[in-house]
Amino acid sequence: MAERRIEREDVDAFAAGAALLGAGGGGDVRVGAHLLRHLLAERSLRLVPAADLPPDGIVVHTGAVGSPDVISERLLSPVDLARAAAAVAEQVMGPIRAAAAFEIGGLNALVGAIGAIELGLPFVDGDLMGRAFPKLTQNTLALHGVAPVPLAVASPAGDVVVVPLMGPRAVEPILAGITAGMGGAASVAGYPTTAGDLARLGVRGSVSACLELGRRFLAARSAALPVLVADLGARLHGVGRVEEIVPRHGGTPGTVTVIDSEDGAVVRVDHQEEFLATAVDGVPAACTPDVVAVLDNRSRRPLQVEEVRVGQAVVVCSLPPLHAWPDSARDLVGPTAFGLVGMEDR
Amino acid sequence: MSETLRVADLLAEPELSGARVVAGAAGLERLVLDVAWYDAGDPAAVADSLLLCRPEAVAPAYRLDALVRRAHDSGVAGLLVVAETEVPLLATSRLADRLAVPLVWLPHGRPVHVLQELTVRVRAPELAEARVVNRVVRRVHGRHTAPEILGAVGDELAVPVSMLAADGRSLVGPELELPDEIRLDRAIPQREAGFLVHPVHDPDSPRVTAWLAARLDRPSHGRMNQVASALAVTEPHVRSWLTTQRAQSRHDALVERQTLAEIVAHRDGVSRGVVESAVSLGWQLQQWHVGVHAVPRTGLDDNDRERARARWASELAAQGVAVVACQDDGDRWLAWASAEVEPPTADARAVLQQVRRAAAAMPRDLGIAVGIGRPHRGPGGLVETLDEARNAALLALSHDYRPVVEHSDELGVARLLATWQESEVTRSFAETALAPLMDAPSQVLLATLRAYLECGGSVVETAAATGAHRNTITTRLQQIRERLGVDLNDPSQRLALQVACRSLRV
Repeated sequence: MAERRIEREDVDAFAAGAALLGAGGGGDVRVGAHLLRHLLAERSLRLVPAADLPPDGIVVHTGAVGSPDVISERLLSPVDLARAAAAVAEQVMGPIRAAAAFEIGGLNALVGAIGAIELGLPFVDGDLMGRAFPKLTQNTLALHGVAPVPLAVASPAGDVVVVPLMGPRAVEPILAGITAGMGGAASVAGYPTTAGDLARLGVRGSVSACLELGRRFLAARSAALPVLVADLGARLHGVGRVEEIVPRHGGTPGTVTVIDSEDGAVVRVDHQEEFLATAVDGVPAACTPDVVAVLDNRSRRPLQVEEVRVGQAVVVCSLPPLHAWPDSARDLVGPTAFGLVGMEDR
Repeated sequence: MSETLRVADLLAEPELSGARVVAGAAGLERLVLDVAWYDAGDPAAVADSLLLCRPEAVAPAYRLDALVRRAHDSGVAGLLVVAETEVPLLATSRLADRLAVPLVWLPHGRPVHVLQELTVRVRAPELAEARVVNRVVRRVHGRHTAPEILGAVGDELAVPVSMLAADGRSLVGPELELPDEIRLDRAIPQREAGFLVHPVHDPDSPRVTAWLAARLDRPSHGRMNQVASALAVTEPHVRSWLTTQRAQSRHDALVERQTLAEIVAHRDGVSRGVVESAVSLGWQLQQWHVGVHAVPRTGLDDNDRERARARWASELAAQGVAVVACQDDGDRWLAWASAEVEPPTADARAVLQQVRRAAAAMPRDLGIAVGIGRPHRGPGGLVETLDEARNAALLALSHDYRPVVEHSDELGVARLLATWQESEVTRSFAETALAPLMDAPSQVLLATLRAYLECGGSVVETAAATGAHRNTITTRLQQIRERLGVDLNDPSQRLALQVACRSLRV
């Protein structure tokens, strides 16, 4: 099988795909795209499926944690990613054979690739979420009881925190505390896993799928909407103007109301950090782990949740999840995980 | 079930007062066959029902969105949400509008109570009616005045209830524009186009004295029955109040008349008992009083005169005259106003203006003639000012136009006398009446008579004024009596002679 590589000219497609899979969350991909494009000017990145790696070879996942706003202002340093990964390698006392992304949606897809380049390791064609989720532990490994430890967090100031052991419920608060201490955002490495486990439990081929999705999106971006939607394999729920935005409040999801300009249908999009679910005329149409995306109808750019404005012309559509989540994952990545209760009423 | 209830009909129920149609107004005319809880159960079972949702069922807000859709799909008549703060999403409102599912928001109320009441209303309207009657009876118990009674009933029915006079004017509560089909000349309960009237009979006669009336925005059959029954049970309470009112006012009038009679008899020497009874009537006897004496035309029956008297009192009050009492004294009305300090002379003109306006506001066919007295102090002063008022009224009566008001202030008296003195009639009367004293030797007698009259009939003062002895004056007066053939003890004769004397001098 021919060796696959990510080249500089793939970055646009990669970023576009990651933005779509970000479902309105996961951070702004543009920052990562610039950095990746810069790094790929001199180096290239080999893409390997986990199954092609030696089964006992260690794979480390890298990414960014913290507030997207901080990340977009205080640029990520690839060096921090490498330092965090090195700290994890020290803990597992073995060489790292490949690097991977935590999530294929949003900024972290690109950060995973940046980490691999900086470490000079192959990039695993796969991730742990198949989209973007707000929590580090909302992934396929966690579903099988795997903890992200040992985990290392590195700040641009040179601080490195290593957490050798954490209970599943402690991960988020501890990570939040460390991130806050590091100024709101940091580089993280964790989930050191053997390639064999990853091939079995991870989301396979998601980097290729992301690249393919991005390519199709860029190709059909200016085409008629039905063409674009069909090319993406997406489902269209509504095209119209945003009439009301109720922001999320605490654990209660917020809502965007779009009135379809064609048939007047009422399209409701529930959201937390990501778009979670959509209902047309009160009938649920798509729901996490489906990827609900809201595009600006003029530029066709996938919108982040906080970018949506009242009066904006938007397209509401959804993509099937890259991973077939089992029923047992409902509490982890289903609507109830986001405070959306009663979505199964129907 | 004979009645067809719609969502909008239920909105008019007292339990839903304060409820707001948030969306889906196009569906308000949907039939309601039942009222049900929302419990996420079998949708078919709640078809054509008004679905009651607790706050938990609609929070977070997006749940209501799904509920509106399900309600529509299962043919629910409408959604009633009992929740304080939650406001539906725009998406939900739009959806309810789109699907014409009435979405009614009740910001306060206990869901269980609302469900019970509405269920009874829908399933057993006659029971709901009985309960309304029961509650109305309980509410009016212990309330004595018509405004209190009607307020309580209106509150219970969530509909304002008015008491109308026999001619349709409102006595208590808001005015109502009754439709022509309602005939107030027929003494029976009537209902027409959302209006209900119930006659209140005169306690003493079979006549209708007043009407209880209400208007419903949504006159459903059941609701009209409820209100009609409520008015029927309210009527005896209002009638009883009217009876009490009448008895009370008759009693008050009697006490007032007796007290005034005592004061007239004893003036400043009134007994302690009279003072006490005056105080209990609210009369401040030691203050300054201004009497107003009004005479309506004769031939009024008791009821009409009493009504006119009450009107007169209220017109005076409306013009700013601080009326202390307004008594009916046979064929005239005695009223007076009291003040702590002596009213300045300039006030006389203002009072005259006020009373004139009050008189002008009275019906013309009453032919009212009014006299006003000067301010006087104390119980004696009260009698005095009322006397002056009576005299002024008598003068007023002599005019040939109505209504007419005369003030007995100095200016008025002078003008009156001037009018009289200058008139040819008076002059010729004087020349005739005083002819026996006109010859030159009798000039001294004429002078004596003039002085005697100007001194108020006092022999002592006349003697002092003329420089003659008392006995001389007495002798002269005897001569005058014999020559003129008059009785100088008769006030009218004295007055006539005084006027005659004065007119000769002019």
